[in-house]
Amino acid sequence: MSWWKFLFPKAASDAQINSELRFHIDELTEANIASGMTPEEARRRARLDFGGQEKFKEELRDIYRVQIVENTIANLKSAFRFIRKAPTFSITVILTLALAIGANSAVFSAIDAILLRPLPLPDAGQLVRLEQFNPKVASPNTFVSPARLEDWNRLNSTFQAISGYYTEDESETSGALPEKITRALVAPRFLRVWGISPALGRDFTPEEQRFGGPTGVMISDRLWRHRFNAAPDAIGKKLRFGTSSGTVIAVLPASFFFPNRDVDLWSSVPVDAPYAQARTSTWYTVIGRLKPVVTLDQARANLATVQVQLGRQFPETDADLAVGMQPLKEITVAGSRKSLWILFGSVSLLLLIACTNIVALLLARRTQRQHEISVRFSLGARRGAIVAQLLTETFVLALLGSLLGLIVADAASSVFRSLARDLPRVEEIHLDARIVLYSLACSVIVTVLCGLLPAFRGTRRDLSSSLAQVSRTQVSTRNPFQWLLVGVQVALAVTLLAGAGLLLRSFQALARVSPGFETAHILTFHISGSWGETADMKGLTQRIDRTIDSLRSMSGVEAAATSATLPGVPGRYQTELKFSEGQIDPTRKIVAESRFVSPGYFATLRIPLLSGDLCQTHLGSLDILVNRSFADAYLAGSPVLGRHLEVLNDNFVRPGEIRGIVADAREEGLHRAPGPTVYWCLSAPLPDPYYLVRTRTEPAAMAETIRQEVHQIEPSRSVFDIMPLEDHLSEAFSENRLRTVLLSFFAATALSLACVGLYGTLSYSVNIRQREVGLRLALGARRGQILKQFLLQGLAVCFAGCVAGWGLATIFARLLSGVLYGVSSSDIPTLSAVVLLVLVVAAFASLFPAIRASRVDPMQVLRDE
Amino acid sequence: MPIEKSDLLQGTLDMLILKIVALGPVHGYGISLRIRQISREVLQVQQGSLYPALHRLEKRGWLAAEWGESEKGRQAKFYKLSAKGRKQLESEESNWNRLAGAVTSILQTAQ
Repeated sequence: MSWWKFLFPKAASDAQINSELRFHIDELTEANIASGMTPEEARRRARLDFGGQEKFKEELRDIYRVQIVENTIANLKSAFRFIRKAPTFSITVILTLALAIGANSAVFSAIDAILLRPLPLPDAGQLVRLEQFNPKVASPNTFVSPARLEDWNRLNSTFQAISGYYTEDESETSGALPEKITRALVAPRFLRVWGISPALGRDFTPEEQRFGGPTGVMISDRLWRHRFNAAPDAIGKKLRFGTSSGTVIAVLPASFFFPNRDVDLWSSVPVDAPYAQARTSTWYTVIGRLKPVVTLDQARANLATVQVQLGRQFPETDADLAVGMQPLKEITVAGSRKSLWILFGSVSLLLLIACTNIVALLLARRTQRQHEISVRFSLGARRGAIVAQLLTETFVLALLGSLLGLIVADAASSVFRSLARDLPRVEEIHLDARIVLYSLACSVIVTVLCGLLPAFRGTRRDLSSSLAQVSRTQVSTRNPFQWLLVGVQVALAVTLLAGAGLLLRSFQALARVSPGFETAHILTFHISGSWGETADMKGLTQRIDRTIDSLRSMSGVEAAATSATLPGVPGRYQTELKFSEGQIDPTRKIVAESRFVSPGYFATLRIPLLSGDLCQTHLGSLDILVNRSFADAYLAGSPVLGRHLEVLNDNFVRPGEIRGIVADAREEGLHRAPGPTVYWCLSAPLPDPYYLVRTRTEPAAMAETIRQEVHQIEPSRSVFDIMPLEDHLSEAFSENRLRTVLLSFFAATALSLACVGLYGTLSYSVNIRQREVGLRLALGARRGQILKQFLLQGLAVCFAGCVAGWGLATIFARLLSGVLYGVSSSDIPTLSAVVLLVLVVAAFASLFPAIRASRVDPMQVLRDE
Repeated sequence: MPIEKSDLLQGTLDMLILKIVALGPVHGYGISLRIRQISREVLQVQQGSLYPALHRLEKRGWLAAEWGESEKGRQAKFYKLSAKGRKQLESEESNWNRLAGAVTSILQTAQ
């Protein structure tokens, strides 16, 4: 008995078999007694008559043993024999599947890591981001003041804890050269909210969270390895950064990437610090951890009540405020959801095309195997058994394909990681058991999709019984089903190509956009600075102005400026404003993009001044420039210059006077038409604004010179993120590029698969119609006619596929509409070009089989006959 | 001389079992008795082939089995014919009759 027989429970239990047999022996014994034997003799004879019980009990059990295992093993053996016997066919199928399943698994691994899995923190579903905002005023500022954060934490009943943070870039000065280091300054309960504990060391003590107490810092695993060589005695060492220093109290786990992956240092902000008391100084990004059974809605209601209570207590600062709340994961990944699902949709279409292709291959293959199948039928095989065998073959192919696909997926996900560095959570993408399972699931689906139909069609009895004669006398097979498959492939390929085409066209349109400023020859960088410096705005402004001046005086530098944000990189800061002189139209809100730039910004970016003057820096009042859209939208027909503007609900920006009008520029992103924009002339809107330097030569070549220059004037500050503006712009659209590159790749693969399908089907059709063609040639048909006939047959199917594909493409393009730029989702030229391309390629794919058909030698064919 | 299993074609035994069971629910011992009695001791079925055949037929769905009490009050497994089995029996019977008729006529012609 083989080991695997134990694997399956017996249908009829041994006990039942035993009692059935015992009954028989008992009856025999009684019959023997009745014929005059002694009871002992009677039983002995009965046993003897009955024969070897054990032997046939085993036989009985065998009947019930599920035969799946045996059959499966037989089927597997035959599948492998089949693969060995048809290597070209098998390799084609396996490679096609490896590509399709591999690409699919790769995209799925990204979706799984980014969208499906919870954030890599304990009970991450409980984490939410909290914001304060004034529902009446449009303002992008949703940071929370430290005092309010403490109130929320104290008064709510739905959170385990609420904490917050802000980050700044500083220079770490323990080493020879200052190095940029990103520090997170955190509110109390920070680690508790994230639900982690340090890998080494301890959390902040109450003393360390008190104003004037010792400064403890927690460092990242990366900094620990880099600076301390991962030595355990790093705890207790001093670390100097910016103008302060602290004692290392903990190393956080390597997997901890919060608030972002750049942070190397965490230090606490004392709750009782004098500068943290004003309810109007808002700086925290707030994260809360919900209590286990609390829903988001309950928490929202709870905090709304808390805020109403605070509004009564502090009517001046809190009465108008509301609390916003979003799951943290949602905020982290929402931006990439659409791109990822688009990619997944495309790659699934690709898999579908691959399956269709394989169905066609299998069908053609079955036809060749019909003899084998009919032999098996005539030997008494049941149809189910043959279907099972054929399905096993497909499954083995699919399985091999998906195993190979895993290798493809592994390679593809590293490409993915490098193409899309800016995707959130991209470092979490990797192959693991879930992806392996997914690939296996793919292979099962493929088996069902590809295998079922050919298996059932190939085993139709009417077909198989008539087989023996078919191969010789058949004149022509139309095999409409195979042509349908070709049409489906073409339609799907057209869909993907149309999607790729539209994305390419948007990409082109984006590159052709005139941004309104000159992007070339601009080098951008940061110089470290800490928020503490904002206590002395005058000093900070002087420092930054001094730096700008010395940059400008460098040889090779044409102009220099600072800006809070980079022009053309997507990002908006929409604020609500009012004219100090009174509203022109009181019913209309004035909402405009606010940009904070130094006076040299316009010269540096070459944004032309249309009227008035460029702004000057002078302490006291603030100068403002507005763009033409702003003047047209809000001040049409009335004098612009000399008006005063102030930001509603913001006590950071002072009112300013409009000094001039500049031309429109695509500040908020190259893909966005310029809207009303207000430029506030502040060189130091924040301690480390972007520095923009217009160079005479290649900007990247100036990087080192500039670094040295800054080191001379600011020896304790670090210069970092040195990069040409053009690189920033191209990086800002990297997700766009990723989408376009991948979709184009999928579309090209789809087209090649469809061509292979077309070529294969037409060749097959030529093969089986050779006799017919030979006969016709012998009867005087011209070769050109034959050629035309086959060519048209291929093209007709493709044309039908294109028409169907056009329909599908319009649906698919509607999904894309949100990510298209400068091209409508039903763009006729793109779709026509795609159809033309497909028809041309299809013509080539059909040409070769058609030529072969026209070269059939009638004599040869007739002789074979 | 009794004909034993080896001489009895597999399909024939199945047919005989179906035929006996068609007369009414019966246990394995009863079947072996009746085959012997009806064939006037010519056919003798070994238990070693009877029970596997019964279980095979049951598994194919031609026979249905049920535990019940025998005439002497013992627990026994009774077999009866299913609808599917009845059909099978009919086709086997007609096949057999055709075959037997053909063989007989050959034998008679050859004489």
